Amino acid sequence: MRRSKTFLTAVAAAGLALAAPISASAKDLRMALSAEPSAMDPHFHNLTPNNALTSHVFERLVHFDEKQTPIPGLATSWKTIDDKTWEFKLRTGVKWHDGSPFTADDVLFTMGRAPNVENSPGSFALYVRGKTFTKVDDHTVRVTTKEPYPLMPNDLATIAIISQKAATGAKTDDFNSGKAAIGTGPFKFSEFVKGDRYVVVRNDDYWGTKPTWSKVIIRPIKTGPARVAALLAGDVDVIEEVPTTDIARLQGDAKVSLGQGLSNRVIFFHMDQWRDETPFITANDGSKIKNPLKDVRVRKALSKAINRPAIVDRLMEKAAVPASQFLADGFFGVSKKLKPEAFDPDGAKKLLAEAGFPNGFKMTLHGPNGRYINDARMAEAVAQMFTRIGVETKVETMPPAVFFNRASAGAGGNPEFSFILVGWGSGTGEVSSPLKSLVATFDKTKGMGTANRGRYSNPVLDKAIDEALATVDDAKRAEMLAKASEIAIEDVGVIVSHYQLNTWATRKGLKYTPRTDEYTIATSVSEQ
Amino acid sequence: MSVTDAGAVNATVRRPAAQTPFQRFVADYTESRLATIAFILLIATMVLALIAPWIVPQNPYDLAQVDIMDSRLKPGTPASSGKYTHWLGTDGAGRDLVSAMLYGLRISLAVGVMSGLIAMALGAAIGLVAAYVGGRTESLIMRIVDLQLSFPAILVALMLIAILGKGVDKIIIALVTVQWAYYARTVRGSALVESRKEYVEAARCLGLSNARILFGHILPNCLPPLIVVVTVQTAHAISLEATLSFLGVGLPQTEPSLGLLISNGFQYMLSGEYWISFFPGLVLLMTIVVINLVGDQLRDVLNPRLSK
Repeated sequence: MRRSKTFLTAVAAAGLALAAPISASAKDLRMALSAEPSAMDPHFHNLTPNNALTSHVFERLVHFDEKQTPIPGLATSWKTIDDKTWEFKLRTGVKWHDGSPFTADDVLFTMGRAPNVENSPGSFALYVRGKTFTKVDDHTVRVTTKEPYPLMPNDLATIAIISQKAATGAKTDDFNSGKAAIGTGPFKFSEFVKGDRYVVVRNDDYWGTKPTWSKVIIRPIKTGPARVAALLAGDVDVIEEVPTTDIARLQGDAKVSLGQGLSNRVIFFHMDQWRDETPFITANDGSKIKNPLKDVRVRKALSKAINRPAIVDRLMEKAAVPASQFLADGFFGVSKKLKPEAFDPDGAKKLLAEAGFPNGFKMTLHGPNGRYINDARMAEAVAQMFTRIGVETKVETMPPAVFFNRASAGAGGNPEFSFILVGWGSGTGEVSSPLKSLVATFDKTKGMGTANRGRYSNPVLDKAIDEALATVDDAKRAEMLAKASEIAIEDVGVIVSHYQLNTWATRKGLKYTPRTDEYTIATSVSEQ
Repeated sequence: MSVTDAGAVNATVRRPAAQTPFQRFVADYTESRLATIAFILLIATMVLALIAPWIVPQNPYDLAQVDIMDSRLKPGTPASSGKYTHWLGTDGAGRDLVSAMLYGLRISLAVGVMSGLIAMALGAAIGLVAAYVGGRTESLIMRIVDLQLSFPAILVALMLIAILGKGVDKIIIALVTVQWAYYARTVRGSALVESRKEYVEAARCLGLSNARILFGHILPNCLPPLIVVVTVQTAHAISLEATLSFLGVGLPQTEPSLGLLISNGFQYMLSGEYWISFFPGLVLLMTIVVINLVGDQLRDVLNPRLSK
């Protein structure tokens, strides 16, 4: 214990030395992020840290509450006029930070800009495409689509509305400099120093509940232990993504309080199901074999080999929940029938033998290191479990940017690997997002299976997803989505492992309300 | 009273000749007690690494023998199989740390020595040719050496690993690429001096082939500085490999070297589970210090200018 204290002091001292001199007054809030936002432009990159940062300044027509349920934002109400037309009533009396009034013209301007940002590494086009926006009056907007589109409020909850007056012709740099960063949100832009600090100040003319904090300073501290040290040293008030190894210790620390909540992210495995010979699977003697992952019995066996409770307990330090499908209980469209696959190594061996692999085979598991909580160790643990049922598994992890590039298009535009560890957070907060992206047949033009890196394809499932997506009635759609999940999971299109739990830590006296979308935002921090 | 033997093959022979050159070398080397201890430790480390598979209780690279349920056990905890004790605890994946460290040491030493030897052979040959041929070839080679040395080694190694991928062989290739230039420069320097000496002229007059003059006559006389560079660069290669592994680009996750063990344990430091990083770090530190101590003493002994 003595040793760890000395070390801690050293780290804290180093942290202090590095920290920019930030004076803390009573109503300042200092938050530390695990990843750095790349722009103040809310349409530049659809990325959690960017979205969280920009939502201090900008607002959406529809907001998500902390469970990703759509609630009124800049639109006060919405309804369907007919199957293909939605009408949004806009909030009146809302003012931009520069004092000009918010109208339907700003919405139309935003929808024109959002899909067309230069050099965008992850565009919002996906959420705008196929929708026609028309102005009815200054505070009414209609959206029409070619097909019935039930996810309209969820889609519009992703697009930040920007000011036509301030942002006409604005480039991403103009937002970073603050010139175009004029929003309607609870905070006003103050400072953007990329990689160092992002500062916003309270908007005293805000239409909603005025924030507690007069000034919010957001800093990225990428290393987990350094983030914890900064909190303990009093350099910051809130940290996100507490390393799982520190959760138990912080729970016993009187100086901090923890907020932990279920995330919309599932950690799972994609399996190559389109090549007849897959590059990273061989027989035990190294010779080529036909792709065993095409056999559902092999996929089922691998799923049975995974000891999910052990992963949650030993590896994730209980900051996870064993997964049965794409989203945890409580989200829209999950199946109540599905249960996590039970750990059954003997059953797995039997299934492998039935499939013609009594002695298993050799496989390489690829994964990112540093994208998901404990991802590299997770890959290693699963490799242990596979090896025990006779599937000798090697692990190769690589930096996330390299990994995702190769996993999506490393083999001449097609996925390179045979068996990969990935995660998926449902941005819309319901099950159609993972179904559409992960297990629908890959079809770029239709926008289906865009992240289907195993190229799983099942016509029955495709039909079920298509039908669900065209159903406007909520109760009916939830049921159809659940059905589609069941088809995908029972056919083991992917192997799901666990849902992440996100953990925030604050200094004593503050409280963070956990959010399923993993956003770290000042309005979720309250005083106790 | 000193004897200057122009035809001497070994530079250490410039002493009264009561002992054989090797005996003199040993006598000179053992003058420093620290260096002697370092040498013994180095030999002990190498022997331990060599016989590791027969003395450790677990093969840490065999995933069937490693269990996640045994992860992060304190030093001194009995293994779940009950057959042995984890004297230094286990790491985050459940590997016995003693076993993992000795296996990691094997990799570290093998990578260091292999890349050191290959880089030496390559660099020495290139340096010799540069010095002997002279002219444009020499300029060209030495500018390439300068260019190579102007890049930080870690940066070049990182880029190469990113292109080549993971694995022991790839690490060796990367290390050889960043290190050959040191050898080339060292050898060229001393070869330039040697090639102007009379014995080389004499060899030319005898009509010996270029290759024979280069490798039979000049090279042996360039050996003393080369040996010093080899030891220092081997230590450097080991630390570079550890750095690459620490950054997560070196070796596969399931076959950790010392650097990867340190990196894996780093995240547990604040939780008080110090042993996962601490012991591998200690072994790495010791190995590098020991090699450097041996290298320093070799430099002193082999440098004629420092002879008393």
